[in-house]
Amino acid sequence: MTTNTSNSGRIQAVQTTLAILEVLRDRRVAGVSEIARELTYAKSTVHHYLKSLEEAGYVERKDTQYALGLQALTLGGVARERERLFHLGREQVDQLAVETGEKVRLIVERDWRGITVYQAEGEQVSQTRTHVGSTELLHSTAAGKAFLAAIPRAETHEYISQTGLPAQTENTITETDELLTELDRIKDRGIALDDQEHYTDIRCVAVPIVIDDETVLGTISASAPLDRMSEERFRSTLPNKLQNIAGVVEINTTYSEWIATS
Amino acid sequence: MKFGIIGLGAHGITHANVLTRLGQTVIGVDANSEARAEFGETFDAKTYKNTASLYEQDIAGIIIATPNKFHEATATEALDAGFPTLIEKPLAHDLPSAERIVEVADQTGCPCLVSFSNKFQTACSVAKSYVESGYFGKITHIRARHVRRRGIPGRGTWYTSKDIAGGGALLDIGANLVNVLLYLTGWPTITEVVGNARSEFGKQDNYAYLDMYDDNGQAKMYDVEDSVTAFCKFGDGMTASIEVAWAANAQPEHKYVIQGTDAGAELRLSNDLSEKNESPLTNELSLLETRPDDIDHHVDAAVTVPDSDPLEREMRHFTTAATDEEHPTLNSVQQGLRVQRAIDTIYTASR
Repeated sequence: MTTNTSNSGRIQAVQTTLAILEVLRDRRVAGVSEIARELTYAKSTVHHYLKSLEEAGYVERKDTQYALGLQALTLGGVARERERLFHLGREQVDQLAVETGEKVRLIVERDWRGITVYQAEGEQVSQTRTHVGSTELLHSTAAGKAFLAAIPRAETHEYISQTGLPAQTENTITETDELLTELDRIKDRGIALDDQEHYTDIRCVAVPIVIDDETVLGTISASAPLDRMSEERFRSTLPNKLQNIAGVVEINTTYSEWIATS
Repeated sequence: MKFGIIGLGAHGITHANVLTRLGQTVIGVDANSEARAEFGETFDAKTYKNTASLYEQDIAGIIIATPNKFHEATATEALDAGFPTLIEKPLAHDLPSAERIVEVADQTGCPCLVSFSNKFQTACSVAKSYVESGYFGKITHIRARHVRRRGIPGRGTWYTSKDIAGGGALLDIGANLVNVLLYLTGWPTITEVVGNARSEFGKQDNYAYLDMYDDNGQAKMYDVEDSVTAFCKFGDGMTASIEVAWAANAQPEHKYVIQGTDAGAELRLSNDLSEKNESPLTNELSLLETRPDDIDHHVDAAVTVPDSDPLEREMRHFTTAATDEEHPTLNSVQQGLRVQRAIDTIYTASR
């Protein structure tokens, strides 16, 4: 049996399958024609793939609408278990969420997107736009900027050229020079702020978790709506708390084999 | 003889310096590559990433100088592996962890000591001998004070993280102070405390200072107290006022005023054993009496003591215990636990 491969040597069927799953991830729910239109595939092709995915449990159908099935979570759950930051930072995130009453997240970068690997919500949080597995651009978020500031500048330029710095709100930094200045400032202070740059009414604070060999494990972020995020809280209280936590996570990570099990 | 040092930060380097001055050789372990590189270069010593590699070496004993939170995991491992162990003070970052270390030390029967260096200043040893001879009568009150003007160690590093260090000034310089206090008075138990812990200086962005222990320029964490004042009552009726500060708007002082029914004393010890600021180290004892005679009179007697390096005295104490497989009572892990318990009691009353 032969396998169809594209010019780049990638397996076409895998590409198509993943593209369909990603559309369902981004849209939550979609019909066959909607998916076919977005991917410019034939409707019959999309239908075939969806049927196979449904049989395997990775896609669930309700009438004519499709959505990701719980089998997808079985992959995501295992992938997350392997992430060091998830294990070493989870307890601290829970504590800070309780202490502040706000949403606190662990975010890890993959393929120029910040992926939420864990989040905890304090009692002030009634609804949240993010969840475990949410992906966000880097330049418009505090966590993403904290990451961009911590990596070599050449890689930052690669991100800029690949994404083109699209605006999410009117506050999003869309100019290269302005972003680079902002990243210098973040590197100096060790704290990244998102002042309504991703969502119009949300402010977010993030600090990177960097271990021994300068590896950026990810970032820890805390966010709240504008009315609960005073200047004092946004620029001083939360940054101090996050820096305490990031420092603890960094040390625990470096000395993880020295942590008593009892 | 060769000794293994686990944790190659400022404390590990201090211990290694002392050991090499005493003609011993050292090898070290740290998970941090920079710390390994610096230690290896300074002492021309082999370093390892994992403690397991250390246990395979032919070593006479192990010194634990990790951040406080990791004392338990590393010390219990070293004791289980059968090595005489010296643990940098405080014994642990909290009381339950300290209790677990003592449990393992008891089970294994390996010599286990805690490093409280001020006790090895000769003036302190002489003061203790006056206590034991009954010179003071019954000791009724001690005023113990260790105040630095601006002396937060490793501000922004693990030293000033509640999670990793377990506490601030009281657990750091306070551990030595409480150790000297309890040692001089025969290890009484605290029954009541009124206290207050403050964090006033370390949090300031513009914290001004002249010198800092382990200043690695990575200021980040600060959520511990930088001073504690407490008044303690003990089971035997004695009282003590304790004042500990990493930073205070006051002249620096490390002093114990001992008040007994028959005589008193003032003991002044070093403010900073890292030797950067003080040379020679403060090491003074004066005795106070009021004698009846034709004319009643006060006697203030200055005691002249030999200057002997307390860190070397302490290390000899450990190396002797390690080679002879002895269990000295001085700075035993059980005493370390008593200090930890007293500090825990003071914290509970002060927070």
